[in-house]
Amino acid sequence: MTVRIVTDSLSDLTTELIGDLDITVVPLTVLFGHETFQDRVTISTDDFYHRLVHGDIWPASTQPSPQDFANAYDKLAETSSDILVIVLSSRMSGTNQSAMAGKNLMKTKKIRIEVIDSQTVASGLGLVVLAAARKAKGGASMDDLIAYTRQTLKRSHFIAYFDTLKYLAKGGRIGKAQGLLGSVLSIKPILNVKDGEMSPVTRVRSSAAGIAYLNNYMNSFKNIEAVSIEHTTSKDNADELVRLFAANHPKVPILRSTVSPVLGVYGGPNALAVTVLEAEGK
Amino acid sequence: MTKKVSSITGQELREMFAAATAWLEKNAPDIDELNVFPVPDGDTGTNMLLTMRSSVEEAYRAPDHSASAIAQALAKGALLGARGNSGVILSQIFRGMAEDMTDKEEISGADLARALSKAAKTAYKGLSNPTEGTILTVIKEASSAAMKKSAGNGKDIIAVMETTVSTAKESVANTPTLLPVLKEAGVVDAGGQGLYTILEGALQYLKGETEQMQFKKPQVITSSIPLTLRLPEMIAADEVPYGYCTELMLKGEDLDPDKIKTRLVKKGESLIVVGDSSTIRVHIHTLDPGNIVHVATGLGTIHQVSIRNMDEQHRDFVAAQKERAVATDVATIAVVAGEGLEEVFNSLGVTAIVHGGQTMNPSTKDILTAVEQVPSDKVILLPNNKNIILTAKQVKPLTKKMVEIIPTETIPQGVAALLAFDYDANLETNTSLMKQAIENVKTIEVTRAVRSTQIGGLKIKKKQIISLLDNELITVGNNAIEVLMDTLNKISLDENEILTIYYGDDTTLSEAEKASKTIREKYSRLQVEIIRGSQPHYNYIISVE
Repeated sequence: MTVRIVTDSLSDLTTELIGDLDITVVPLTVLFGHETFQDRVTISTDDFYHRLVHGDIWPASTQPSPQDFANAYDKLAETSSDILVIVLSSRMSGTNQSAMAGKNLMKTKKIRIEVIDSQTVASGLGLVVLAAARKAKGGASMDDLIAYTRQTLKRSHFIAYFDTLKYLAKGGRIGKAQGLLGSVLSIKPILNVKDGEMSPVTRVRSSAAGIAYLNNYMNSFKNIEAVSIEHTTSKDNADELVRLFAANHPKVPILRSTVSPVLGVYGGPNALAVTVLEAEGK
Repeated sequence: MTKKVSSITGQELREMFAAATAWLEKNAPDIDELNVFPVPDGDTGTNMLLTMRSSVEEAYRAPDHSASAIAQALAKGALLGARGNSGVILSQIFRGMAEDMTDKEEISGADLARALSKAAKTAYKGLSNPTEGTILTVIKEASSAAMKKSAGNGKDIIAVMETTVSTAKESVANTPTLLPVLKEAGVVDAGGQGLYTILEGALQYLKGETEQMQFKKPQVITSSIPLTLRLPEMIAADEVPYGYCTELMLKGEDLDPDKIKTRLVKKGESLIVVGDSSTIRVHIHTLDPGNIVHVATGLGTIHQVSIRNMDEQHRDFVAAQKERAVATDVATIAVVAGEGLEEVFNSLGVTAIVHGGQTMNPSTKDILTAVEQVPSDKVILLPNNKNIILTAKQVKPLTKKMVEIIPTETIPQGVAALLAFDYDANLETNTSLMKQAIENVKTIEVTRAVRSTQIGGLKIKKKQIISLLDNELITVGNNAIEVLMDTLNKISLDENEILTIYYGDDTTLSEAEKASKTIREKYSRLQVEIIRGSQPHYNYIISVE
């Protein structure tokens, strides 16, 4: 029986991107005061960013409850006996905990569920979930899939340009990037994820320099299986990056997505994120 | 979420602090890591947690379920179990609250606000030298906001607590402005953070969110003010040497906390003496713990004696901090003059600064000393002046460390190089990245001629304003802004996006703003930023990127 793949909405995988891969996405929740929205389900990214920038309520986010995961598991258990759950870094969210706790709340018990803490986020997670889902569809066993996913996570390199650190700092998820706060000069940080936390790489002073940096970063890899390019509000900048990359790598598939509102709470407007999935056995 | 609760019973008061303790437990390790004041020993979270546990345990032994009895028991438990500086202060907060809750069966929002206010006063009283920017400031500001809120909304205990929590959060975020050692370490006050977490836990209980609390984690507040993150070894403490953290409980009759405080005050630092005539808790950082024990045994029986070597605690703390800080094994050293410019370099994470610049070149020995002192074997030097590059180069054969010199001739080149520093890269890659970065910046310096001269067809009189573009003399005049505009006129700015004005020691902010306005009027596409550089000699140092 096919192993079914579950992830959370911070993988930035939209319905179109998932296609016919049968991936189940459990959404996180976005809160504007007393109003609650399911990430990407009941609030669109555009609406979200408009409210983030112009509204006076500071949004918050919460992880899915264990029951949300249990419901997803129960539904999949009707047709499968193995579920592989790949979630965002446990250092950034308690989603991993909910995914684990959800196992104990299931109605149906006798199936195997494995949860992998990806230690990454956004398309850094999304590209790996897509790869795992393809393998699953091809009939890979649970044990093979776990090994494959862990190995693929090592090949997934996420990096992001932030227009400001304000939102990350305000949300309390600044991790090791705290050292970049409080620069006297206005700077735009480039961050990656290290040990499951946002970590500073370097800084630039303009969005143009940010685009150039991300493009150079992608070009620094020799063998690329796929890349992902996503934005929060600056679609044009992300499209420019796609154009620059495609000119050099006409054959590499590019996953074009938008950063989930939950992440947008921290990334803020005008952020750009890029993931390079290195080819196997390079 | 629109729930309104007008008052809570004694049992609810106890459960509220039990929930707060559980919430604090999740945050304790993070709070330990924040701990830099008064001594960076990394145990504040643990100490506060142990104090809270003792407090809540005692509350289960209260004689009845009135708010008054529970509050008394909470206070007693906190005093008996108080550990460390912050624990003892926390016990004083409970004591103040209990005193204000005497004879109360239930607690309303207004009662809570008043109790918190009394708690703040009691906490200040217990200390020989209260320091602002700590848990004290947080309880003071939070309770005063609670009082204001309860004046209009005294029947809504949740509303009062919400105000208390949000004010506590702001207050914690502001602690680095009040306490320089926090600013230097790039953290908020650990005790303040602990108190905020307790209050936040209590609020969640009041809102009936205990279920959700299981799956959430408290967040450490990050400060919004400029922080200067230093390497762990450089985290300063205001108190050296550390000595021994000595704590004990004294039991006897007719004990007088004030008298005991007077007897001990000269024997160490961070003294706290709290309690009543029968039980007193003493906390002190001293070089001679035996002396403290000796004094105490003469006053009554002593219990729960604890003597800890703080130098050892500090080493453990530094090790923990190292793990947390950005891992880079390449140090950067910049030569900079002017307080404002130093702040710019510090805020960009330079490891060390050597003071110097035009007309005050540092010696090879000055730079060598800095190289030897930074906690890394690989060092990148930013001379930031044409005349200092050679001096920097002489350091190389004098040290065993691997030293690379980025030939930065101006401050803007130094800033551009430092910005390009890559935390993930090694010495070699960083050297090449930083050298490349110099190419992308143009420097204009506006200063006064020190003597009359004639260079390249320009006749210059002493004290006239001159401008240099990347160290080449460009123009001369009598007005700094005119000279600056003339210089900009001579270069192509089509490819540039950002112009940064560092104004000097002799230049006012309003002059700099005038310069900025003039530039923006002419070059509307450019983003212009004004920074106080407070550099000597140069009216303006301009960076064009």
